Amino acid sequence: MIAAILRWLKAFFRPPRQERLDLSRRALLLAAVSGAGAASVARIGATEGRHNFSPALIRPPGAVAEDEFLARCVRCGECMRVCPTNALQPARGEGGWTALWTPVLNMKTGYCEYECNLCSQVCPTHAIESLTLEQKQKVRIGTAFFDRNRCLPYASARTCIVCEEHCPTPKKAIWFEEVSVLRPDGQRITVKQPRVDLELCTGCGICENKCPIADERGVRVTSVGESRHPKNQILLSLGSDGLMGY
Amino acid sequence: MARPRTPAVVWIRRASQTGFFLLFLYLFLQTVYKPVNQTGKGVKLFFQLDPLTALSSGVSARSLASGLLLGGITLLVTVLMGRWFCGWVCPFGALHNAITAWRSGRVKEKIASGGYSRWQTSKYYLLALMLAGCLFGLNLFGLLDPFSFFYRSLATVVFPAFNDLVTAAFTWVYQADPGVGRLKAAAVTEPVYEVLRRNVLSASQQRFLGTLLIALLFAAVVLLNLYRARFWCRYVCPLGALLGVAGKNPALRLKRNDQACNDCGLCVADCQGGANPAGAGSWKPSECFYCWNCRAACPRQALSFGFGAGREAELVAVQGAKEKAR
Repeated sequence: MIAAILRWLKAFFRPPRQERLDLSRRALLLAAVSGAGAASVARIGATEGRHNFSPALIRPPGAVAEDEFLARCVRCGECMRVCPTNALQPARGEGGWTALWTPVLNMKTGYCEYECNLCSQVCPTHAIESLTLEQKQKVRIGTAFFDRNRCLPYASARTCIVCEEHCPTPKKAIWFEEVSVLRPDGQRITVKQPRVDLELCTGCGICENKCPIADERGVRVTSVGESRHPKNQILLSLGSDGLMGY
Repeated sequence: MARPRTPAVVWIRRASQTGFFLLFLYLFLQTVYKPVNQTGKGVKLFFQLDPLTALSSGVSARSLASGLLLGGITLLVTVLMGRWFCGWVCPFGALHNAITAWRSGRVKEKIASGGYSRWQTSKYYLLALMLAGCLFGLNLFGLLDPFSFFYRSLATVVFPAFNDLVTAAFTWVYQADPGVGRLKAAAVTEPVYEVLRRNVLSASQQRFLGTLLIALLFAAVVLLNLYRARFWCRYVCPLGALLGVAGKNPALRLKRNDQACNDCGLCVADCQGGANPAGAGSWKPSECFYCWNCRAACPRQALSFGFGAGREAELVAVQGAKEKAR
């Protein structure tokens, strides 16, 4: 019995000639060096999400820091399949070439549903860490910003409160300043001009998704402020509350 | 020469492939929002069975998600039984197998093109390249891992297209409602649509950005089966390469009765992996999917699978000894 096992072991490491894998050592070395070289090209690049923060690189809630995320993600698409709002999309340029087809959120096709953590439930490699719903609701994936040149109460003296109505956080992350503005017919009206509370916004993107300006929205989410990255932050002390988030 | 009866083991293999393929589709359909905030059970199963998922994530992130240890079982079985997984379990392999079996072509051409080619080593170099990348933190396996490739293509291209076509077809029948006299088509199609809508179709049509490349690659990989049997599995699949390395000296082996064999080459025509079942001692265990097609094709029953070092290995040993003695 033992002799048979030993014979088998010997044959495993030195099989008969025709049963070998037929690999050339030179080609194998070349392949390994190419792989290491590609990795090094990826490491030295000013890669989106690591050094040169890309506003569009919004990762699902629970996603680990970008280096670790790319190391773990196998781009299977389970999260994209399960996302109930169709927000998760296969990345193209958002995260550079090493991030091709990894999941990013697009707030025009969908938004991050406040009562859902399915992407973290289905991720097989924990590139998106398993979070309870309560944990997930505190994770920030980005921050919303108003575009005063497009947002209706600013740009066109019209009433609109759609974003504030949809904002899902317990205390709304969008607040208003009532301002008296001049309409085209010369009448003065009071409109509510929205602002984002940087402390409360989670970057879920429902404001951008529901914004009535169909092409380039009046409020847009970018990745800054994401919980997973200590450096992709608004690096200013915010009054008495200290550094926001961190 | 009449084709011999297909042995039962081939039918069992086909049933196993069909079963795992359907399980893959079922789990895919279960990967949806179910009230409240849940999916179906076990939707990660195939990725957990895939040792490449564990290896690539584990090596490049230096940490391993718990469920992925299941892949170790796949590897252990492979050490004993070779690339059995490719021929019996892999749902992507089952798809390639079906298309390979469906293609037309004369037996002579299949014999000429079905044998082992040195190009089949390309998958091992690809594995080495990507593994070296992983050591330095670049994990590109997801681009070519068979389950990732298949799932991603299904999720972003094939299923949304299916969903769109089915919905459009049923909507057309409902609106036009063709029929003969009082017999209306919609009376039949609407209940069918209701069943599909509840169990298969998306709650709303999913749309994805930049899917053209994913679609073209998927179509190419599927169509390449018409050029070579199971092209993806032979030349590309990095999981196949990993299993080929693990299963390069399996306990379950192909044995050849040299007296019965007349070198007709019919076994090569149906060989899925390009494992060279014909010829004395030419069988390549790391390319064999254990599909039993060679055994089924052989009109003289010269081939069989069995455990332990077989006649063939002994013959080689005897030849080796003779050469040494010279």
